[in-house]
Amino acid sequence: MTKQNTLDPLALWKSMYEQTESHFSEAIHETLKTDEYAEMLGQVQNSFLQYQQLVRSTTDMYLKQINVPTNEEMSSVASLIVNLEEKVDSIDEKIEDELSSKEVSLEITKLKVSVSKLDKKMNQVLQASDQLDKNMHQILEVLTSNKKETPAETTSSQPKDKK
Amino acid sequence: MDFTTTRSLDAMVDSLPEDYQKDYKRFKRAIDVLTKEPEPKVGQTPKELIWTKNKAKLYRYQPAKVKTNKVPILIIYALINKPYILDLSPGSSLIEYLTDKGHDVYLLDWGTPGYEDRHMKFDDYVLDYIPRAVKKVLRKSEADELSILGYCIGGTLTAIFTALHPNLPIRNLVFLTSPFDFSDSGLFTKWVDEKYFNLDLMVDTYGNIPPETIDFGNKLLKPITNYIGPYVSLANRADNEEFVKNWTLLQKWVADGVPFPGEAYRQWIGEFYQKNKLINDELYIRGQQVKLSNIKANVLNIAADRDHIAIPEQTERLMDKISSEDKTFELVSAGHVSVTVGKGAVKNTYPLIETWVREHSGA
Repeated sequence: MTKQNTLDPLALWKSMYEQTESHFSEAIHETLKTDEYAEMLGQVQNSFLQYQQLVRSTTDMYLKQINVPTNEEMSSVASLIVNLEEKVDSIDEKIEDELSSKEVSLEITKLKVSVSKLDKKMNQVLQASDQLDKNMHQILEVLTSNKKETPAETTSSQPKDKK
Repeated sequence: MDFTTTRSLDAMVDSLPEDYQKDYKRFKRAIDVLTKEPEPKVGQTPKELIWTKNKAKLYRYQPAKVKTNKVPILIIYALINKPYILDLSPGSSLIEYLTDKGHDVYLLDWGTPGYEDRHMKFDDYVLDYIPRAVKKVLRKSEADELSILGYCIGGTLTAIFTALHPNLPIRNLVFLTSPFDFSDSGLFTKWVDEKYFNLDLMVDTYGNIPPETIDFGNKLLKPITNYIGPYVSLANRADNEEFVKNWTLLQKWVADGVPFPGEAYRQWIGEFYQKNKLINDELYIRGQQVKLSNIKANVLNIAADRDHIAIPEQTERLMDKISSEDKTFELVSAGHVSVTVGKGAVKNTYPLIETWVREHSGA
C-alpha cells in the first residue's frame, strides 16, 4: 500500500509542472529565438513606448499649466546639487592629494623643524630676558642702596658749601 | 457552518485525515509567504562608510576584524542590482565569508540613480567613480596594491577600467559571470537586434530604464522556469522553514533591481550587444581606446554553466585577449544568481574565490 493516498492538488501541480516544463520550455524557446518573435516583441515595445510618450507629454503639459514642476524641472535642480557636490568632491580630492603628496609632507617636516628651532630660540631669548631682568634688578638694588648712603654725606657737606 | 473565518476553516481541517491537514497547512503557509511575510533582512554584515559621490557610496566591511590579508579587495557589482546582492544574509554572503577569513573588503555601492542621472555613461563610472574608489581603498587600507572583484556588468566595467589604467597597482582581478564577448549572447542577440529593437526610442522615452523592464528581459530567457517554477517549488516545500527563508531571499534578490541610467543603457545595448566593440578593441571611453591586452594583473575568471544572462562563452573569450601571465578560467555548476548565493555558492564559489585571492596576495 502506498503512503500517499490523499489527493494533493499541489503535488499534482508539481508533477504536471515537472512533466511538462521541459517540453513547454523547449517549444517556447524555439519560438523565442525566431525572427518573427523578435519582430513582434519590437513592435509591441514600440507601441507601448509611443503610448508612454503620449502619457508623459500630456502629463507634462498639464503640470505646466497648473504651475507644478515637472520631472524634468525637478531633475534640473537635482543636477545643480550633484554638480556642486562634484566640485566639493574634487576640491576634497585635491586637498587630500596635496596633504598626502611627498613634497608637501617634506615641506611640513621642514616647517616643523623650523618651528621647533624657533621654539628653542624663543626659550633661550626668554631665559636671557629673565637673566637680564634679574641683572637689572640687582643693579637697581645696588643703585638704590648707594643712593640711600649718599644723601647723608651730602647733608653734612652742605653747611660747608654754604660757608 | 461558517467558513468565512480562518479559525472555523482550521477547525474543520483538524477533523480531516492527517495527510489533508499537512497539505492544507503547507498551502496556507505558501499563501502567507506570498501575502503576509515581511521583506527579509539583507546586507547585515557590519560596514563603515568611507566615501560618497552623488548616489554612490564606498563601504569597508567588518573594519574591526583582524586583516590577515594585507591586499584589500574592492567589489564592483552590476549597475542594475542593489548593493546587498553579495551580502544577502548571514551564512549566505560572499562579503561576510571573505571578511571572516581575514580579507579587507570594500564595496562600491552605485546607489539608485534618479532621473537627473539619466546622462550617466560608462565613461563616468570608469573614469570618475572607480579610480576615486581605488584611491580611497589604497589610502584607507594603507596598502600598495589591491584586488578587484567584478560581478556581471561590474566585471565588464572592471575590465575596461583596468585596461585604461595599466599603471595602477592592481594585483588581482576576479571576474564573476561577466560578459565580454557579445557576438553570441543567446536570445538577447536576436531581441536587441537593431532591425527590431528601437533602442533610442526606449532611452528617450524612459530616461532611465525601469528595473521591471530589465527584469522582464532576463526572465523571458526562461519564462516557465522564472515565472512559474518558483511558485511550484514554494507550494511544494512551504513546510520547510529553511527553504522558505532562502526562497524569500532569492526572490528579493531577483526582483529588487534599480533603474539602468539611460545613457549607460544606450551604450550597453548599442556598443556591447549590437556592435560587440569591447572584445574587438573598438570601444572608446571618453576618447580613449580600450585594449583588453593592457590587462596584466592576475586573473580569475568564473563562469556558471547554467547562466543564461552571461553565458560561459561570452565570459571565457576574455582569456584570449588579456596579457596576464597568471590567468585561470573556472566553470562552476550554477546559474547567474546561484553563483553568488545559496548552498552551492557557499560550498563552491566562496572558497574558490577566497583561496585564489589569498594565494595570489602573498598572504
